[in-house]
Amino acid sequence: MSATDTAPRAPVSTPAPSGRRDRYRRGPMRWLVLALLIAGAAVVLFPFAIILLNAFKSPTEYSNAGPLAFPTEIYVEGMIDFWNQVNFGRKLWNSFMIAGSVAVLGVVVSLFNAYALGIGRVKGRLSIVVLFLIANMLPHEALVYPLYWMANQVGLYNTQLAVIIIFTVIQSAFGTYLLASVFGTFPQELLEAAKLDGASKWQILWRVVFPISRPTLSVLFVFFFIWTWNEFFIPLIFLISNDRQTVPVALGVLEGERLMDATTTSAAALLGVIPAVIFFLIFQRTLARGITAGAVK
Amino acid sequence: MHTPPRLISTRFAPIGLLAAGALVLAACGGDDGEQTGSGEADSFAGETLRLWHYEGDNSAMGIAWDEAIDIFEDETGATVEFEEKSFEQIRQTANMVLNTDEAPDIMEYNKGNASAGLLASQGLLTDISDAVEEYGWDEKLAPTVQTTARYDDNGVMGSGSWYGIPNYGEFVMVYYNEDLFAEHGIEIPETYDDLVAAMDEFVDAGVTPLAMSGAEYPAGQLFYELALTQADRQFVNDYQLYENPVDFSGPELRYGAETFSEWVEAGYIGDETAGLAAEDMGTSFIAGDYPMLYSGSWWYGRFVDEIESFDWSVSLFPGSDLHPGSSGNLWVVPTAAENEELAYEFIEITMRPEIQATLGNNGGVPVAAEPDDIDDDKSLELISLFEEAAESDGLAYYPDWPVPGFYDDLVGALQELINQNATPEEVLEQLQVAYDAGVEDITN
Repeated sequence: MSATDTAPRAPVSTPAPSGRRDRYRRGPMRWLVLALLIAGAAVVLFPFAIILLNAFKSPTEYSNAGPLAFPTEIYVEGMIDFWNQVNFGRKLWNSFMIAGSVAVLGVVVSLFNAYALGIGRVKGRLSIVVLFLIANMLPHEALVYPLYWMANQVGLYNTQLAVIIIFTVIQSAFGTYLLASVFGTFPQELLEAAKLDGASKWQILWRVVFPISRPTLSVLFVFFFIWTWNEFFIPLIFLISNDRQTVPVALGVLEGERLMDATTTSAAALLGVIPAVIFFLIFQRTLARGITAGAVK
Repeated sequence: MHTPPRLISTRFAPIGLLAAGALVLAACGGDDGEQTGSGEADSFAGETLRLWHYEGDNSAMGIAWDEAIDIFEDETGATVEFEEKSFEQIRQTANMVLNTDEAPDIMEYNKGNASAGLLASQGLLTDISDAVEEYGWDEKLAPTVQTTARYDDNGVMGSGSWYGIPNYGEFVMVYYNEDLFAEHGIEIPETYDDLVAAMDEFVDAGVTPLAMSGAEYPAGQLFYELALTQADRQFVNDYQLYENPVDFSGPELRYGAETFSEWVEAGYIGDETAGLAAEDMGTSFIAGDYPMLYSGSWWYGRFVDEIESFDWSVSLFPGSDLHPGSSGNLWVVPTAAENEELAYEFIEITMRPEIQATLGNNGGVPVAAEPDDIDDDKSLELISLFEEAAESDGLAYYPDWPVPGFYDDLVGALQELINQNATPEEVLEQLQVAYDAGVEDITN
């Protein structure tokens, strides 16, 4: 473990002499870790390889040669058909809009809640946090009928707003739980110093707490975005009109009652996963920084 | 289109709803159009039929219904607002959507007690008996096909009012890889004894004769078909329509389980198939790995497209007059529909010979086609088999239909038989308990 600890801290920059000595001393261990990492990466990448392999294969070839064979020709018709059939550009935009709104709103709500619970120290905060955690762990199947009924009563059924509200609540339940515990260890000296300078509660939140916890908030933002992006069940129930649906729901069109279209499903899965991967790559640095910054210095 | 314009994003979605409401109001004018009958041009001009189905756009149904939409728009002057849904979404959400003003005017829905029957008993589907009489649809449908279109107050199929109209049928049959038969010098079987003899010869030659999937519906359908070889129509009515109690240790189902088990022991069915999905079974037949496949007409179009390396043919399961099969899914008219008359008009068009012929020529099984209109030989082979089964009252529905959740019981029971973990008696006992409990719930 110690070998991996040092690795990300000192990237390529200057291989100090001491570091070199370390490498010689821990030689065999390093190779073992490398081998394990490669094996782990192979396991993680295997499903992607299968998708990639079948996304460019014609249905006939898939049926005749099986899912593991290499395609003899690149077949993109399935992908193009699917794109047009479900108006995929529109679905991408819907997903992006819903996941983006949820990520922003979820982070804001989590921040407010956690400020009250972690720093404000309201009474009974432990039970409130536990309540949030339980709410977060409830299976969506149990929630869906009451949610449907309420949405229908207020005229929000079949609107993206309903999905955004639901996920903002669900995600911020987790965010509140996490942030409240992080804020529980927030350095009191900073808060007291701000108070002495005459800062109001609002100012403390925006001038002190927010800037310091920004890395953690960015991590929450990225998580919320990706989690919401991948959600299937609630959007399936709430977004009835095709032009309001999200990417995962659109992929469902390909699975019939008794037959499935494996190659087009692969092609569509590839289209669906690319945006999430791009998003992850863009924010990957924030993520890495955020995880170590989770504990406030 | 009641779709809100792009600029109105979620924040203003309620406005979209208002707009939809306004359109709905506008569409209400359609109710005046009652009694206009069929064929009157432009009597519905300016109105909208909201239509949902979940068949792929290159499937037989998808192609035929596209054509029907064109004819419908031409003849009535109304516009069709069609949305292709996913099977999963309709299955999960139908009972919720149909309770709201988002409900379409007409939609495809699964037949059977647990699907259309349930919605009908909840009052979510329109009783279309009057339209059936007016348009004469009952005369176009064979009696065994009608069963799944009618439901009583408890949602049990077979009697009561009409709640839907099927356009196509489906049934389960045997597919033969003729090249493999020829290669081993074996005749395509015509009787049950031939079938067993042929499978013995394949086993002797080191070939597993029957493609199978234990993890999904195929094993249950074979078990049911084996039981049906010993059964008469009354058994089917008892099993499916609860006319009399069913004894799983009686001659029919016991024969089914014991024979299935014998077939596994004899090597007709590979014991590695317990965990295979139906898709694996189908692709292994397409790849030419197995001489025989026992499964449904839903594979037919795909086999026509994808089997390249050998000749194949089909027949009904030899030695039985009854076969798993039924009408296809139904056109249903939700109670919340705004425009029933338009919906009936559309159903009428889908029942016309030319649409039925399109369905048949693209690998589907039409319920009301003229055989002369079918010009594709391969399609004709399929359709004549279906007519043979339907006209002799031979469609016996599916084994998992009578009881909600029975599908999983069947899959589990037959996996135990394939793995030889349980005796047929034990398996039948398990099934009896699950079946009785489910029937008890439904009939009381």
